[in-house]
Amino acid sequence: MSVLLVIVTYLIFPGGLFVIVGSLAYEYADRKLIARFQNRVGPRWFQPLADLVKLLVKEEIVPAGVNRGLFIWLPAVALAAALAAAVYVPMAGLAPAWSFPGDVVCTVYLLMMMTLCIGLAGANTSDRFSIIGAVRALTQLFSYEAPFLLALLGPAVVSGSWRIAQINGYAQDHLWMIVTQPLGFLVALLGLMGKLELSPFDAPEAETEIVSGALTEYSGRGLAFFRLGRDIELFVGLTLIASFYLGGLANPLQFLVKTLALLFVTAGLQSLFARLRIDQTVGLWWRIGAILGLGQLLILIALKTAGVPL
Amino acid sequence: MIPETVTRALQPAGIRVIEAGDNNLKADVDAPSLPRVVTALKEARWGYLSAITGLDRTQLEAAAGDTETLARSFDVLYHFCRGASVLTIRVTVPRENPVLPSISGVLPSAVLQERELSETFGIEITNMPAHGRLLLSDDWPAGLYPMRKEHTPDFIHQKISELPHTEPSALPEEGPGKFVIPIGPQHPALKEPAHFELAVDGEIVTDVSLRLGYVHRGIEKAAESRTWIQSVYLVERICGICSHIHATAFVLGVEKLAGVSAPPRAQAIRTLFAEMERIHSHLLWLGVAAHQAGFDTLFMFSWRDRETIMDLLDQVSGNRVNYSVNVPGGVKYDIDQPRSDAIRRGMDALEPRIYHYLEIVTRDESFLRRTRGVGVFPRDQADSLGVVGPTARASGVLRDLRVESPYIAYGDFPVRPVYDDGCDLAARFVVRIKELFESCRLVRAILDALPSGDLRVDVPRRIPEGEAISRVEAPRGELFYYLRSAGGINPDRVKVRTPSLANWAYVLSVAVGLKLADIPMVIVGIDPCFSCNDRMTVLRPDGSRESVSWEQLVPPGAGRAGGCPE
Repeated sequence: MSVLLVIVTYLIFPGGLFVIVGSLAYEYADRKLIARFQNRVGPRWFQPLADLVKLLVKEEIVPAGVNRGLFIWLPAVALAAALAAAVYVPMAGLAPAWSFPGDVVCTVYLLMMMTLCIGLAGANTSDRFSIIGAVRALTQLFSYEAPFLLALLGPAVVSGSWRIAQINGYAQDHLWMIVTQPLGFLVALLGLMGKLELSPFDAPEAETEIVSGALTEYSGRGLAFFRLGRDIELFVGLTLIASFYLGGLANPLQFLVKTLALLFVTAGLQSLFARLRIDQTVGLWWRIGAILGLGQLLILIALKTAGVPL
Repeated sequence: MIPETVTRALQPAGIRVIEAGDNNLKADVDAPSLPRVVTALKEARWGYLSAITGLDRTQLEAAAGDTETLARSFDVLYHFCRGASVLTIRVTVPRENPVLPSISGVLPSAVLQERELSETFGIEITNMPAHGRLLLSDDWPAGLYPMRKEHTPDFIHQKISELPHTEPSALPEEGPGKFVIPIGPQHPALKEPAHFELAVDGEIVTDVSLRLGYVHRGIEKAAESRTWIQSVYLVERICGICSHIHATAFVLGVEKLAGVSAPPRAQAIRTLFAEMERIHSHLLWLGVAAHQAGFDTLFMFSWRDRETIMDLLDQVSGNRVNYSVNVPGGVKYDIDQPRSDAIRRGMDALEPRIYHYLEIVTRDESFLRRTRGVGVFPRDQADSLGVVGPTARASGVLRDLRVESPYIAYGDFPVRPVYDDGCDLAARFVVRIKELFESCRLVRAILDALPSGDLRVDVPRRIPEGEAISRVEAPRGELFYYLRSAGGINPDRVKVRTPSLANWAYVLSVAVGLKLADIPMVIVGIDPCFSCNDRMTVLRPDGSRESVSWEQLVPPGAGRAGGCPE
C-alpha cells in the first residue's frame, strides 16, 4: 500500500502529472497575460502543451564537439530536480507530500539545479552564444541566489521552523508576512524571476545578442525538458512564495487565487521593463537585493531575540 | 559664388574650382595630388565626403563620335557636401592601369566607399588598410568588375555560371586569446543580413569587422539596361521602408537633366508622402530599437500605432510599402477631400501616442539605463566622419537637407530642424520622436495649403546628355543620387549612396570598448538599412536571367512535390 502511495505521490499527485499539467496551465496564463499587456492576442489555451508535444517528437540534434552524455542527461536532471521540489511544497493548498526538518533548504537547492544544469549545458557546447549565455547564467546565479535564500529564511526565522509545512501553517494563523516583511517578499519574487530568466533578468538568453544563450544548441527532447522544467519551477516557486508571504495556503481555492495573483504581478513586471545588462543585474542584486534581504533578516532576528511577537 | 574657404584651400594646390550652377562646384585633380587636396579641404573644415562615384566613360564617348569600343579612362568623382553646395572633385585614371591613392588616411570614413569602388570598377586603391571583400561574394571571379561597361550583364552571367560550386567558409579565424562572436548574416538581432565579427574579452568588445553584400541585387547595373521610366520602379525597390524617397531623388535628378520641373501640386504631394513615410519609418525604428533593448511592450505598441500610417498610405496609393507615387515630371495620385480628412484623422490619433513614447524614452528609468551615455559620439567626430540624418542631429550636427537645401515643396512648407546635444543613444531616440511631431505638423500644413493645378508635366523619353546630383533627406539621413545620361533612353550611370553607408563609420568607430549587450543597440541606433547598402552586384543566374524558376527553388534531390505548378 505504501509503495503504491509513493508511486502516486511522485507520478500523479501532487508530483508528476499534476505538476506538469498545472505548470503548463500557468505558462499559458503567463503568456496570455503578457500578450494582453502588450496589446497582442496571445496563445490559445493548449499552446504550451502543443509546444511541448511538438518539441518531444522532433529530432534531437547532438552537435559536434559536446560531451554526449552530459548533453542528453542535463535536461533530464534539471526536469527531475524541478519535479522533486514539487513534493515539498503545499501543492494545491494541501499539506506537502513529504516533509522533514530542513526541507526549505533542500527545496531551494533543488530549485537551483535548473540554472546549474543550464549553465553546464551551455558550457558543454562549443557554440559561442551558448558559452556567453552559460557565463551569464552562472554569473546571474551567483547574484540572485544569496538574496533569494535570505528572503526565504525570513519566514523560517519568524515561525521558528525549517519545515515548509510548519511555516505554511504558521503563516495561516498570523498576519500575512507580505505586511511584516515587505522587503523579503519583493526580493523573493524578483529572485524567482531572476531564477527563471524572465524579462528584465533575461540577459542570459538575450535573443538580440546571443540568440538563445546557453540553450542555443538544444532542440527536440532536451529543449522540451528544459522548458518544462522552467514552467514547473515557476509553478513551484509561486506556490512557495504564496505559502510563505501571502498568509499560507490552506485549501485549493486559496492556492489558485494567491498564486494567480502573484503570476499577475510577475507578468506585469515582465512587460514593464527593458532588459538589464548582465552588469546591471549583478549590481542590482548585490548592491540592493542582498543588502535588503540581509537587513530584513537581521531586524527579524533582533526582534525575535528581544521577544517581540511577530 | 564659390565659397572662399574652398578657393583658399585649393588654390595653393594649383586646383581651379569652377562653378557649374545649381550649387555645384567642380574641380579636376590628378591622381597623385588627390590626398593633398582632400587634406587641404579637411583642414579648411569645408564639408564632408558624401559619396565616391566611379564612372566608365565608354558610352559617353561613343555618343560623342569616338570610334574606340572602350573609353581609355575612368572618372572617379569625390563629392564633398556642405549645406546645399556640392564640390565634385574629378580624378581621371587610365583603364590600362587604374590606380588611385587612398584618402582613408585623411578621412577614415572613406574606406567603405573606396572598397566599393575598387571591387566594382577594378580600380586599385593604394595604401588602403587590407581587408577581405566588402560587397562582392567570396567566390566572385577575380578580374570581373560589375560596373565596367565591357562586363555586360550577359558576360557576367556567363562567367558566374562557369564557376565551380564552393562551400562557404566556416568559423571566423581566432588568434590566441581571441574569442570571436559572429553576428549575422542570420541572427535574431538583425532583421536583414550583414555579418559582424566581434572579438570580445568577457563582455567587452575589443575588435569589430563588418561584411555587407548578402542581399545584392545589382540595381545600379540593372538601371543601365532599363529605360529612365523603368528605372524609377527599380530604385523604388532599393529599400522597402523608404521606397518613396529613393524614387523622389531619382525623378528629381531626371527632371534636372531634362530641364523640367514638376507642378507645385505634385511637389506638395511628394512632400506629403515623404513625411508620411518618415512617420512610418521612425515608428518602425522605435519598435525595433525597443526590441533590441528587450523592451517588447514598447515594440508592440509602436508597431500597432504604425499601422495607422500604413493604412493611410494604403488608402491613398493602394500599397503599404511601394506606394509608387512618383513618375518623372510629377505624381500619380491626387489627394481629394475624403483622403485628406482620413489623413488628418490619422494624425490626430497618432500625436498623443507619439507624445506618450517621448515620455517613455525620456523618463523610463530601466530604458534610460540602456540608452543614456551609451555609444557616445561627440559632435566633432560626427561632423568630420560625415554621418548623416538623425545620427548626426543627435550629436548636435544640424545636417538636414530639408532645411539646408529645400527641395520639392520644403521651400513652401519650411521644416523646423530637430537636434539634440546628447550625443548618446537616448538622444537618437529623442531626435527621431521629435521629428515625428514635426512630420505630423508638416502633413497637416501641406493638407491645409495644397496648391491646385496639374499633377504632372511631360518628360521626354530620351533624356539630354548631362549629369545631375540629387540629394534628399531620407528618414535615415542624406540620400545621394548621381545620374548621368548619354542622351539615350537608358541612364548611363546611376550612383546611389544611401544614408546607412555613411553611418557605418560611426558604428565601427564606437564599437570597440563597448559591452556586448550594447552592440545591437548601437547598430540599430543608426537605423541601418542593409538592403539599401546592398544593391550593386549581379544576381547569380542559372539559366534564366531575371526570374528564378521553380526548379531552382526546389533543393536538389528533393524531387518535385505533387501538384506544384510547372
